[in-house]
Amino acid sequence: MADKGISPFKFQVDTWQKFENGYSGMVVAPTGFGKTFSVFLALITNFLNHPEKYKKGLQMIWITPLRSLSKDIAKAMQEAMQEVGLDWVVGVRNGDTDPKVRQQQVKNMPEILVVTPESLHLLLGQKDHARFFKEMKTIVVDEWHELLGSKRGVMVELGISQLTKYVPKLKIWGITATIGNLDDAMEVLIPYDIKKTKITAKEHKKIDILPVFPDEVEILPWAGHLGAKLADKIVPIILDSKSTIVFTNTRSQSEMWYQLLLNAYPDFAGQIAIHHSSIDAHLRIWIEENLSSGKLKAVVSTSSLDLGIDFKPVDTVIQVGSAKGVARFLQRAGRSGHSPFETSKIYCVPTHSLELIEVAALKEAVKQKVIEPRDPQVLCFDVLVQFLMTLAIGDGFYPKETHERIKKVYAFQEMTDEEWKDILDFLTIGGSVLKNYEEFHKIVIMDDGLYKVTSRKIAMLHRMNMGVIVSDAMLKVKFISGGYIGMVEEYFISKLKKDEKFILAGRVLEVAMIKDMTVYVRAAKGKAFAPSYLGGRLPLSANLGHFLREKLSGALDPKASEKELKFLHPLLINQEKNSHIPKEDEFLVELIKNREGYHLFMYPFEGRLVHEVMAALIAYRLSKWAPISFSMAMNDYGFELFSDKEIPLNEENLDKILTRENLMTDVISSINSAEMARRKFRDIAVISGMVIQNYAGKQRSNKSLQSSAGLIFKVLEDYNPNHFLVRQAYTEVFNVQLQEQRLMEAFKRIEKSKIILKFSNTFTPLSFPIKVDSLRQTLSSEGLDARIRRMLEQARKYK
Amino acid sequence: MNISTKNIKIQNEIFTLTNQRAAFWKKEKALILSDLHIGKTAHFRKNGIALANHIMKSDLERLSVLIEYFQPEKFIVVGDLLHAGDNSDVDEFCSWRNQYPDLQFYLIEGNHDKISKNLESKLCLNFKAELLEIDNFIFIHDFTKDELKFQITGHIHPGFVINSSVKNIKLPCFVVTENQLLLPAFSEFTGLDTKNLPKKGRFYIFTDSEIYEI
Repeated sequence: MADKGISPFKFQVDTWQKFENGYSGMVVAPTGFGKTFSVFLALITNFLNHPEKYKKGLQMIWITPLRSLSKDIAKAMQEAMQEVGLDWVVGVRNGDTDPKVRQQQVKNMPEILVVTPESLHLLLGQKDHARFFKEMKTIVVDEWHELLGSKRGVMVELGISQLTKYVPKLKIWGITATIGNLDDAMEVLIPYDIKKTKITAKEHKKIDILPVFPDEVEILPWAGHLGAKLADKIVPIILDSKSTIVFTNTRSQSEMWYQLLLNAYPDFAGQIAIHHSSIDAHLRIWIEENLSSGKLKAVVSTSSLDLGIDFKPVDTVIQVGSAKGVARFLQRAGRSGHSPFETSKIYCVPTHSLELIEVAALKEAVKQKVIEPRDPQVLCFDVLVQFLMTLAIGDGFYPKETHERIKKVYAFQEMTDEEWKDILDFLTIGGSVLKNYEEFHKIVIMDDGLYKVTSRKIAMLHRMNMGVIVSDAMLKVKFISGGYIGMVEEYFISKLKKDEKFILAGRVLEVAMIKDMTVYVRAAKGKAFAPSYLGGRLPLSANLGHFLREKLSGALDPKASEKELKFLHPLLINQEKNSHIPKEDEFLVELIKNREGYHLFMYPFEGRLVHEVMAALIAYRLSKWAPISFSMAMNDYGFELFSDKEIPLNEENLDKILTRENLMTDVISSINSAEMARRKFRDIAVISGMVIQNYAGKQRSNKSLQSSAGLIFKVLEDYNPNHFLVRQAYTEVFNVQLQEQRLMEAFKRIEKSKIILKFSNTFTPLSFPIKVDSLRQTLSSEGLDARIRRMLEQARKYK
Repeated sequence: MNISTKNIKIQNEIFTLTNQRAAFWKKEKALILSDLHIGKTAHFRKNGIALANHIMKSDLERLSVLIEYFQPEKFIVVGDLLHAGDNSDVDEFCSWRNQYPDLQFYLIEGNHDKISKNLESKLCLNFKAELLEIDNFIFIHDFTKDELKFQITGHIHPGFVINSSVKNIKLPCFVVTENQLLLPAFSEFTGLDTKNLPKKGRFYIFTDSEIYEI
């Protein structure tokens, strides 16, 4: 490397030394500083120093979270090895790999194998797989921060644990960006009692945060509405840059912005592209290549480009809407100005004017270097069930020995023996010990006690449905004349009528017919819907929420440097006049009565998920006083309860509604009815194999096995309420959805705050975006029949 | 269990719709229902999806109560009696059926009813065909344009969404048009289709306790 004129960073040298001394560990470094080469070259150096210790075969497994990353990493490694004259081979193995190549790998493993967590598990589901790992020295998990908080992280933990069976001296290395809980991150990856170390790069990136202002402030900010006006402002930014990535938060938003940019500057045609996970993989690769080579002026993308290879020509990043969290914002900003000493430039484009406050908050957070932690997932029994099935379709497993190993895995350290038994029973007899389900067929216990899958059909079903990324059923979109465009969610298509138009991959399409999980379309022109995708609604992080409250509090009286707040002055005045701007020690509640009915707004600034829980809780507490139905809406700033009846709330009883007393008991009562667990169960059912996902094209043969997670949940709840997967659904609701701790903190804060109740006849600037950008659900204390009767009466009245 | 009923007049005949997913035709003393999907849970179990057969048991209990209530002579299933051929759930259904030796059992074949000769005798059917004609009515699994008479059908698993400013509720229903009576799926282990419903129909939605006309 030295002859290229590059001198290594200190963290790289440190990594090489620690590796040489037999350590496992974690490297913390920002993107663009050659973190790949820290661990990779450590292995190469070790080999060059001690070639006698190395025999032919697989030496290193490299896990990346993204398939699209694998190829480039493999290429970089291969080139580096060529430079030192090493004849090792780097192989890529994932869902995109040619079956022929995969077979070759099985016969003759490359020295380095780049995989995803899923493809590692598939490898462990092969017959006689132990032979692959005989010579293995180390496993490296790249972008560990991306995997850590998800069930894919648990997959990695389980995969590593299985590898330690074959390679007792395995060295485990993680590579991560800075997050708020680095020590936890290492403990989760390496819970074993071996030599381990954390190596942190001192280098960090400079970032310029530049807000884009609309021409004028709207007094009532309308979510998403600003787009059209701001496209004109973005065009010159793109034109002045070499190459730009425009980040949006959802796929529909990315489709919309692609259109907006084309409309604002038609010459962009052919120079800009759109990139998200529903677009055909070939097209995505083409886009990535052209972005790398500098042929594309701009790419509109979702989080699909958050990670990944360095797009060298990209010198500008534009963030549309809220980035939702500091870590994510930094990650995206880091996509521009990739070389270590360049400054990353990121423009923030608000989708409604209130988001400008968020820019001010982000600046403050970045200045103070407050980055969110990623909480690891624990006790994901669905993932464990899937993993055990994977072992069972391969060589099978012996429960006792496997249990010993699983207990060491971070995610399952708290698992009880009873839970383990439940899982084994579930896999072998279907139910609890007392109830042997007739005809149940999954894992068979062999004479020598080996747990194994004997049915080829069941093994195949499992292989096809492995993985923990659960999406809504996706349909392929093809031209009726041939040619594949991408995927849309079934949910969206089911709402479309024949001959209605929608947008995908930047094209306006008209539905011709739907057959065999494929939507056949014609090219069309004119107005069309952008597909809505259910995923991708990330909540605001607690850190950012904190800074938002702080900025809003002083918003009427901004510092000279806070351009964003100065700009928003008219809107803020309006809020203050019609209602109130909450100070840091205040909590604002608005009651608005208009033609539609009665609206209650509260503004905790705790993010969508927490608001969902709070809304259900407040609705529940109100409904204990009188029978009343609410619909709830929320955004990251606050939530709304809406009813057609008057809401019995006043200054006297407000603190009873907001009390911390009985908080969790009330929450439990309110969510039971709000069906959160049922929604959580959807993923669990798919991951644990209770619901067969219908994949495009493959769905047909399994049609008689189709059912919805909702139905299965109902069956289990009715007849087997203690089922460990049902319990997991509730636990997940508590840990992930409810964020019990964050909720407690929020109520503690509210308790200490001065509660301000304001009445109004019109929407206020704070309430309006919630009203418009709503994600609705309901809670009611009226009986179902009473409700139906009332709804029918109302329907008659309107007729 | 609460049986709530609603009488409707079709072609000068009275049919009683119930909130328990079945209809009764008084003149013929016929209990009419569709889409039982017997054997669905067993089929799932055979393929490694662990579900107990409680659901079928509760479906059959419900059916017993209906038989007790209406005292029918005929029992007409408008298709999809079975879900996926013979299995242990089917055995259980047969022993349930044998409690009612005097009940005439008519099956209109549905798309799921792949029934071998052996299976047919096991089920103790009195009648099996793709189509049954009684007076001015035709019983058939899915609606066909080829017949001009009034058709009583199943297949769709109809559901209806009630909208209000506050909440949408989805419920199973009967649908009646000028030439069709569409029955709800009898089994509770089925989904609801709110899209592919006949046009210009009247809907009879129901809950555990009530049935409503819309």
